[in-house]
Formats: sequence, C-alpha cells, structure tokens
Amino acid sequence: MRFADLFLTAIEALFAHKLRTFLSLLGVIIGVFAVTALISLGEIATYGIRRGLEQVAGRSIFVQGEWAPGQPPVRFREADRRLLSALPVRVIPYVFAFAVGRDERGKPVEVRVLGVPGDLPELDPGVELAEGRFYTASEAKRGLPLAVLTQAAKEKLKASVGKRVELAFGPRRARLAVVGTTKPLGGLFATFNRPQAYVPYRWIWQNVPSARRGRYDAFELKVRPGVEMKLVADRVKALLEKRYGEGRIQVQSIETFTQTLSQITLMLQALLGGIGALSLLVGGIGIMNIMLVSVAERTREIGLRKALGATAAAIRTQFLLEATLLTLTGGILGIALAAGVLYLVVAAVPFFEVFILSPKTVLLALGVSALVGIFFGVWPADQAARLDPIEALRYE
Amino acid sequence: MALVELQGVAKVYRSGSGRRTVEVMALKGIDLTVEEGEFIAIMGPSGSGKSTLLHILGLLDRPSAGTYRLAGQDVTALDETEAARVRNRTIGFVFQAFFLLPRASALKNVELPLAYRGVPLRARRAAAEEALAAVGLEDRLDHLPSELSGGQKQRVAIARALAQEPAILLADEPTGNLDSESGREVMRLFSELHARGRTVVIVTHEPEVAAYAHRVIRMRDGEVVADEVR
Ligand SMILES: Nc1ncnc2c1ncn2[C@@H]1O[C@H](COP(=O)(O)OP(=O)(O)O)[C@@H](O)[C@H]1O
Ligand SMILES: [Mg+2]
Repeated sequence: MRFADLFLTAIEALFAHKLRTFLSLLGVIIGVFAVTALISLGEIATYGIRRGLEQVAGRSIFVQGEWAPGQPPVRFREADRRLLSALPVRVIPYVFAFAVGRDERGKPVEVRVLGVPGDLPELDPGVELAEGRFYTASEAKRGLPLAVLTQAAKEKLKASVGKRVELAFGPRRARLAVVGTTKPLGGLFATFNRPQAYVPYRWIWQNVPSARRGRYDAFELKVRPGVEMKLVADRVKALLEKRYGEGRIQVQSIETFTQTLSQITLMLQALLGGIGALSLLVGGIGIMNIMLVSVAERTREIGLRKALGATAAAIRTQFLLEATLLTLTGGILGIALAAGVLYLVVAAVPFFEVFILSPKTVLLALGVSALVGIFFGVWPADQAARLDPIEALRYE
Repeated sequence: MALVELQGVAKVYRSGSGRRTVEVMALKGIDLTVEEGEFIAIMGPSGSGKSTLLHILGLLDRPSAGTYRLAGQDVTALDETEAARVRNRTIGFVFQAFFLLPRASALKNVELPLAYRGVPLRARRAAAEEALAAVGLEDRLDHLPSELSGGQKQRVAIARALAQEPAILLADEPTGNLDSESGREVMRLFSELHARGRTVVIVTHEPEVAAYAHRVIRMRDGEVVADEVR
C-alpha cells in the first residue's frame, strides 16, 4: 500500500472514535503542555531577569563591606576611592543613611537616603530623571541641602520639585530642597521602587549624626567598555581584602547575578521538564492502552486486510501511524494550550515582559509527541501485524 | 498445466498444552487438481475440513505436510510477505460473514485490495466502479455496508474479489447468511462469472448451492470421499 493510503486509513480510523480518541489524548496534551509551557516560561523569565539586570546594573560592579561577627562594619576611605580609580572604572561612592518623613496625614514614611556625587545620571545610566534636574557636582561639593526623590518617595511624601521636604535623621530634623525626581524602574526590579532620596554625600557627613565624615559605605564601579568585568571584580576584591581582611569585601556584578539566576532557571527547567516527562510517560501508556484496545476491537478487520493482501509491514505501519498521528494531535493541542496560557500569564504578570514561544520549543514539543507515539505504538502495532489472518477472521 | 495442484496435503491442529495437548487431523493427505475455468463445490458435514482446505488453497494457512503448487509455482513454504502478495494478486475471497469494513463505502471496500497492491487512486476507483457494476450495484457506490441488504453486501464482497482479477475465486459458504432468494442471486452471479471464464471454488453444505457447480468434491473427516464431474 502506498504511504498516502496508509496515512488516510490511519486518519479514518482515528475519526471513527472521536471522543475516545480525544480522551485518550488528555495525558499527552497535558504532558506536551507542561513541557512547552515550562521551557517557554524559562525563556520568558530569563529574558525578564536579564533585561531587568541590565537596566539596573549595566556594566556595574558593586563593592560593599561584608558583615563579620564581632567586627566593626567596613567603611571605605578616600584612599580606597583613589586606589580603585586607578583601575579602568569610574567610581561612584555611596554613603547610606536612613530617615523618616511624614505623609500628608502625618504618618511616618521610611526613606532610604543615598549620599551620592552630583550629576549622577551622567555617571550611572540606570538613573533616569523624570522631572527637574540632578544636583550638580559643584553643589554636591559644597554639601548643599538638595535632594532628588524617587517616584515612590515623591508620592508618599506628597513632595514636588521646587518645594522643600522635611526629613528626620534620628533626633535631627532637616529640610531639603527637592530639585528633581527619578523614573521608576520597570520589570523585575519594580519592587525596588521604594521611597529613596539622593542627596550630596557631603551633606550627610555634615548633618547626619550616625555618618562618619570621609567614610563611604559602598562603591559602584562603572567598568569601561571592552574591559573584562570578571578581571576587574577579582582585582577589586584582592586590593580591598588586603586592607580590610580576607572575606570582609563583597563584590557583586551583573555577571554574578546572571550566573546564579541562570543556574536557578536551569534547575527549574529541569524540574519542570521532569514533570512534563512524567505526564508524557503516563500519557504514552494511555496511548498504548487505547491502541491495544483498538487492535483487539479490530481483530477481524486486520484479518480481512491480511486476507486481501496486506503485509504484516503494512499493518504495522498503519497502526504506528495511527499512534503517532494521535500523539501529534495531542502535541499540537498541548502546544496551543501552552501558548494560550503563556499569553495570559505574560499579560497578567508584570515580571514577564514578552511572550516567547520559540520555534525550537515548538519543534521539540512536536518531536517529543511523535516519539511518544512511535515508542508506545510499537508494541500494539506489532501485535496487530502478527495476527494470524484465519484466527483474526474467526475472532468473535 | 493445472491451476491448483495439491499433493498429500495434511493439516494438523494442536490445541491445549502439555499432557492435555489434543491433535486434530483436519486434513489427512489431500490430492486435488483444479484446472483453469472449473466451477467446483466442496461439500461435506460440519468439521470435515472444508474451510481448512479452502484456507490452504487461499494461502491463509499452510499445510502441515504435502505440497501446493499454484499456477505452476510452489507456494507451500512462502514467507508471510510473499504469501500476502500472492493472496493480493491471485486469490479472491468471499466469506460467509461478508467481511466488509463497516465504516467504508461499497466503493472503498472494493478498492481495498487494489490499495494494498499500490494501484493509484484513480485507476483503482475506476476498477472498483467497474466491478460493482458487474455485480449490479452501480447505483450503490457510496452506500455503507449497514445501508445494504445481506445479498447486496455479499455482492459487494464478490465485486471486491473481482476487482482483484484473481486467478481463482474462493468462497466459504457464501450463501450461509442469506435468505434463499438472495442466495440464488449470489449463486447466479457466480455462475455468470464462471461462464465468463473465472475459476470458482465454493464451500457449501447445501445441495441447491452445489447444483450450480460442474464438479462436486465430497469430504468427510479430512478426506476426499467423492469427486464427481457433471
Ligand atoms: N484453529 C483450529 N484449531 C484447532 N482445531 C481446528 C482449528 N480449525 C479447525 N479445527 C478443526 O479442524 C476440523 C476441520 O474444521 P473446518 O475445516 O473448519 O471444518 P468445516 O469447514 O468442514 O466445518 C474440525 O474438527 C475443527 O474443529
Ligand atoms: Mg467451515
């Protein structure tokens, strides 16, 4: 028999029992749905994480002291800043402080205060202005009481550009002029949109009791283009650990983030892929079962076909095709289901920014479903092919 | 050259296992020659081995001993695939229970053996239409078996065998499931086919059916006990 005829024969057989065909497919549908959705979700999540990280960190390295029991916290000096400036990086020093403001109803609002140099958006492309301006380098040098608020801080404190905002640093109250606001971060890091205020670090040194003049809490290093991030990060760690002790320096870069994140994603994908594989196994056994039932039911038909000249190979191919078409149909339905669900998830969850269903994933899912059909169809097809025509014709 | 030559063909069925194995000698050394163009009826009581003989003639079964030559070729020990090929090209079967595919139209049913021969769709459709016309069913091409009477079903089965242009037509009690009028119609059809030169072998236990044949072979307990040409 020609292949096209075998193919048609298989399709006709499947259409003869539509409901049963569909029900037997559920396992495969769910299995393929799981595999497809989970691989795709992995891709979508990875994309979101990378985008988010690049937006926030760019080619940045963050250097902070590492807390150690019984030791005073590491606070960097001007000498450290000079030391790091000799590397192919731009150094942005940070002084951290903590303040409490009041919302319109007089309730306290916690505000993280970041002491940074002037013209920060020029140093750090991750900081984008929404309104007003950033205080200048010379304003910062003079330690003027100026502040740039994040979106969240502006809203909570009911502040606006050109007005003053009152913040309490412990017992000390201070009034700062708001000169600008920054844009909120998107995607993954939307949760970082906390009330924050950028102020000149000199102003913190001069006005905040807990601050120590001339000391920095952290450095953000903007690595020059074309320079290997990892080399710089290792060098920074080595230089500073020589001064502050082994294990007292924490160096983080986008690379370390993405490495851990992609490891987590991989593990997640493997786990979820495993669940998919399990449902495919169960689905495949379901297919094998339905095919065995079908062979038993159609024993006479098989006998007749053989009597009319069907070879064992033709019968085997017909039943294998039936099983494979069955699982491929399940695969297509599973992929469609996955596409629908992913689309909704991406639309609903802000963390997932773009809908990704790569051709690679679709092909993989189709290949897997076909393989399930072939693998679990072989045995029933063999049973059919081996039927003795007379026995089959006698079969009641 | 004879179309069919059986020499000492025996068939032993074993059923059960171990000590309870029972051996049934369904055929005990049959010698039989069928010439081209003959119309033969095989008669005999139930269990005498008629169907077994027909199955061996049709290459659905293999003799336990003896040799079988079909159209000059020794077909005693063909393998599965070769046997399927010979069945497809040389042998037309008609069964008591019709054996039509229930979900396929009359036309599709008749096309089936040609599909297994690899005949392209148009050619086999034309051949199937012609065969159905030859059995008087040209206006029932698209009917499903369930929409046909018993006699019509058997005519579809005969058309299916005809479409194969077989060297020999084998029928096992083809009127067994039919009322007497439909049975007569079917037998008239076989006579007509014989008149046009086909070789026909029919198994039956009804004398009226056997009356259409030109040669009657009587069997009992797996042996040929009489062979009369009229
Ligand atoms: N598959 C089989 N297994 C065991 N015995 C069988 C089988 N087929 C037929 N027989 C036996 O062989 C004998 C001949 O059977 P069969 O050819 O069907 O007779 P008929 O068609 O003349 O009624 C019977 O005794 C029957 O029981
Ligand atoms: Mg019989």
